[in-house]
Amino acid sequence: MPRRAPAPASGFDFASLVRQHQAMVFSIAWHLLHDRAVAEELAQDVFLSLHQHLAEMESPEHVMFWLRRVTSNRALDVARRRQRRPMVSLENAPEPVAAASVDDPLLGTALRKLVAALPEKARAIVVLRYQEDLDPAEIARVLGIPVGTVKSQLQRALALLREKLSRVERRASGLSLGEV
Amino acid sequence: MKAAGLLTALLLLLAGAVPAQQVKWNYEKLAARASNTVDVSLSGSLLQFATKFLSDSDKDEAKVKKLVGGLKGIYVKSFEFKTPGEYSAADVESFRTPLRSPDWERIVGVHSSEDGETVDVYLRNEAKGGIGGLAIIATEPKEVTLVNIVGSIDLESLSDLGGHFGIPEGLEVEKKK
Amino acid sequence: MPSLEDELRSALKRREPSPDFADRVLARVAAAPARRGSQPWMRWVAGMAAALLLAAGGLEYRQYEGERAKDQVLLAVKIAGSKLNKAQKKVQMISHRSDS
Repeated sequence: MPRRAPAPASGFDFASLVRQHQAMVFSIAWHLLHDRAVAEELAQDVFLSLHQHLAEMESPEHVMFWLRRVTSNRALDVARRRQRRPMVSLENAPEPVAAASVDDPLLGTALRKLVAALPEKARAIVVLRYQEDLDPAEIARVLGIPVGTVKSQLQRALALLREKLSRVERRASGLSLGEV
Repeated sequence: MKAAGLLTALLLLLAGAVPAQQVKWNYEKLAARASNTVDVSLSGSLLQFATKFLSDSDKDEAKVKKLVGGLKGIYVKSFEFKTPGEYSAADVESFRTPLRSPDWERIVGVHSSEDGETVDVYLRNEAKGGIGGLAIIATEPKEVTLVNIVGSIDLESLSDLGGHFGIPEGLEVEKKK
Repeated sequence: MPSLEDELRSALKRREPSPDFADRVLARVAAAPARRGSQPWMRWVAGMAAALLLAAGGLEYRQYEGERAKDQVLLAVKIAGSKLNKAQKKVQMISHRSDS
């Protein structure tokens, strides 16, 4: 039985915050790093930091903003350090090796792999947009970048994903394509 | 008599201490039917906090900063509906009723049967003279908008905004004495 | 047919970590004070660093709140202004019609 965590000096119940936000924090890390073990480790570290900073949290919205910001930035740091894939421009982002069929529920898997292959910043923007449903202004505040950058990166990422996905679907339906 | 006077003064003091909308509109029925709602409620302290973030170097933001600087509150509710007919004339009339008190004066009332649009603009008179607020009720077949701006509105600033954010050029709102 | 954006929302849905994730976090938090350094000067430095981070974090959130409130002010002025604009245009239309 784990020992009870010491009560922080704030009105928040830390254990409740962990249970309430664990899926959000873990998922941001997982979608950015595509490694379950590393994502869980990072998510734990984020909550440990939250416990240390709990006294300065002003509202539930502040907690969410803080968690998204810290998780995204730390995951991006880890992604850059790990360099599992060399830095590629958006245009050269690789496709998944195994093509998913058009009607295959693994289309989601193909899409996740395509997102995971995006450059880090674009990846974070796409994850915050479609996992967390944040608008560009909110994404800009979380990541600390200009909103214009968010909008242009999002547009380019979607165009690339669309193109890559249509190639995957064409391959799955048996049409042959030369390398572009 | 003295006790009644003291009680009134206390109530006025308490009323003044609570920043609030000047017009009590009951819009729950409309909110329940709306497909889309815009809800802005900025009381005095939050408004003053927000104006610090309006840029002096951006022309439009600087003008808005000047306009809202002295205000005590801004309240905007806008309801969009999927189809016409989701609200009734009685619903809109209920919004006009509180503005028929002696404190309020309708300065513009435009009702167009051609496009089904109406706009009513009211100013609130302060007891010691001057303007203490602005209310707008605007309707379209698929939209109802209610605006209450609390505070001393500088009408020159309002007209100075001109075409920015849709404020008309040279709008002169004359108060009847 | 679902759009790419719908597919992305579905593919990037939140997922739960391991079932004992929360317990492990709470265990680490409970164990954390025992592992801190005991040197007084280290605690002082850590305290100063934490205070600076606290201030920076608080300022960051104030900035975020302020920007959101500013957006609301601009939206409210835009809506109120557009309705006044409409009123003026209609008044002008009516007076033009009555002049002609």
